[in-house]
Amino acid sequence: MNALRLASLNENHLARTIVSVGDVRFGQDFVVIAGPCSVESEEQTLKTAREVKAAGAHMLRGGAFKPRTSPYDFQGLGLQGLKILEKARQATGLPIVTEVTDPRDVSWVSEYADVLQIGTRNMQNFSLLKEVGKADRPVLLKRGMYSTLNEWLNCAEYILAAGNPDVILCERGIRTFETYTRNTLDLSIVPCVKETSHLPVIVDPSHGTGRLSIIEPMSLAAMAAGADGIMVEVHCRPAEAVCDRDQAMPPKMFGGLMKKLNLLRSSMGGFNHEFMH
Amino acid sequence: MTLKDIRKRIDAIDDRILQLLQARMEQVLMASRHKKEVEDAQREQEIFDRIRAGVTSLVEAEFGEKIFELIIGESKRLQNEGRRLMAFQGEHGAYGEEASRAWDSEMVPFPCATFEEVFERVQAGLCDMGIVPVENTWGGSVDRVNRLLIHTDLCVAGAAALCIRHCLLALPDTDHREIRSVYSHPQALSQCRRFLARNHLDPVAYPDTAGAGRMLSETRPKRSAVIASRLCADIYGLEIIKENIQDMEKNITRFLVLSRKPAQEGDKCSIVFATEHKAGTLFNVLQVFAGKAINLTRIESIPNEPGDYAFFLDFEGSDRDPSVEKALAQVQKMTTRFRLMGCYTERRIP
Repeated sequence: MNALRLASLNENHLARTIVSVGDVRFGQDFVVIAGPCSVESEEQTLKTAREVKAAGAHMLRGGAFKPRTSPYDFQGLGLQGLKILEKARQATGLPIVTEVTDPRDVSWVSEYADVLQIGTRNMQNFSLLKEVGKADRPVLLKRGMYSTLNEWLNCAEYILAAGNPDVILCERGIRTFETYTRNTLDLSIVPCVKETSHLPVIVDPSHGTGRLSIIEPMSLAAMAAGADGIMVEVHCRPAEAVCDRDQAMPPKMFGGLMKKLNLLRSSMGGFNHEFMH
Repeated sequence: MTLKDIRKRIDAIDDRILQLLQARMEQVLMASRHKKEVEDAQREQEIFDRIRAGVTSLVEAEFGEKIFELIIGESKRLQNEGRRLMAFQGEHGAYGEEASRAWDSEMVPFPCATFEEVFERVQAGLCDMGIVPVENTWGGSVDRVNRLLIHTDLCVAGAAALCIRHCLLALPDTDHREIRSVYSHPQALSQCRRFLARNHLDPVAYPDTAGAGRMLSETRPKRSAVIASRLCADIYGLEIIKENIQDMEKNITRFLVLSRKPAQEGDKCSIVFATEHKAGTLFNVLQVFAGKAINLTRIESIPNEPGDYAFFLDFEGSDRDPSVEKALAQVQKMTTRFRLMGCYTERRIP
């Protein structure tokens, strides 16, 4: 981990990074990001945004540029999707996080979004990392599905080295031999990150499991493991979701999850995740 | 060229046909100010003769006549309605037109090439009213308009504070990532300087914002966009890439509504005056307002002739308020030139 001049937790950098997005503080509060996998229409996005806001989410997610396995799958609404997300922010006050897939889009996505997301497939897209490193927006860096902690933190290093200090890491599951779940959610990475880096880390149990029934226990486990937040896919009508239908949570279920998270948080009291060295 | 491309061209031509019809109707309304009767059989005959002489292989005489029967019928209907005209400077889609529409949606915004033309048309009764910008939050006072206001006999019949929201507009289906050059009025470009820099766009000066929009829709330069109003997007069939791109949150332009007749009532007044070239003359005038606790909202000095300045003063209150009446009477005696330009209401247009 010697190459991690900026990302690692060491004598020179003992203070944990707090990333501010509006009133939200990653690294200080437990941040819940919720919203649809993709922006499909204005109606779907605004409806979902209002429902997750009512349930207590702090930020809205939604993809306008979708990196899909197949070129024939829905690729996202692009600029139109960004305009819809902007409307959703105006309507709910929720800051927006959305994925950017092309270095040429970075400045444009920054015009609309509060946080730029680098998806799992682009984690090691170094030209994209350099470009978001120059942006004046925080970056949510998802873990590559085949990546080690060291590789992941090196990607964060790219962004930090380019001049952007606001990086939030996001564990979203890795490929293992297990096929029951879409990925294997590696919750052990949360304390590993905390031990080695000062950057905040959140967990995406939706992609991490790909199974609706497992999202709630994994969200609670993420909080217990010391994560700085979660990112959950919520759709106002999951059966109609254009992508990732099986992991789209209905708003009512999300409301229940929020209640349990609050209960767990209050029962954790002043519990301190800092490690004894 | 695919069917889709051809259809795009057809759409662009249809937009132009509508714009030309709009321009024709404007001239028709202007013509009605110069004639007593709407009906003019001789003129109609002239038009049809011209049409028949000008037919082309695909536009046959019978078809041309049919279209112009419809156009002339509609022209006469509009003339009979006696629509009222509001002159503004610039092309369709200019912020002046936005202000005109917001001030009175019933009036027909009438484009004029220059501010002089706006004043002249209202003065001559060819337009019922005119709307001109006097100051902008960031650009300061609009010099040319203030110069014209010094000597005009027109009344200020209203004022509108318009929130300027610059938009980045491009031709439909433009890939926003390919845009390089952005055309607009230098003031609009400077108000969006940081936005342009963030997105690596080159500013290119153009005489006015709406004109840039029209140029883009007509000449279709590649990798280009314009900064103009939302209205401009509707008029020229352009796509809004991003709204509200100005660097500062509040960008307000104040417009004055000009008329030959004063407004019925109001809570704001504008005066213009000149004082003797002696120490304290301007101070003495201001003291009159201060003494009567009249709140000033604008003060502007414009050089008129060498050594002679015209002072513009706006204040809150009606010319029927006794304290305002007294103040104005006093000021009139203290100045070498004085005119109450109007007592009117000012509206904020969000």
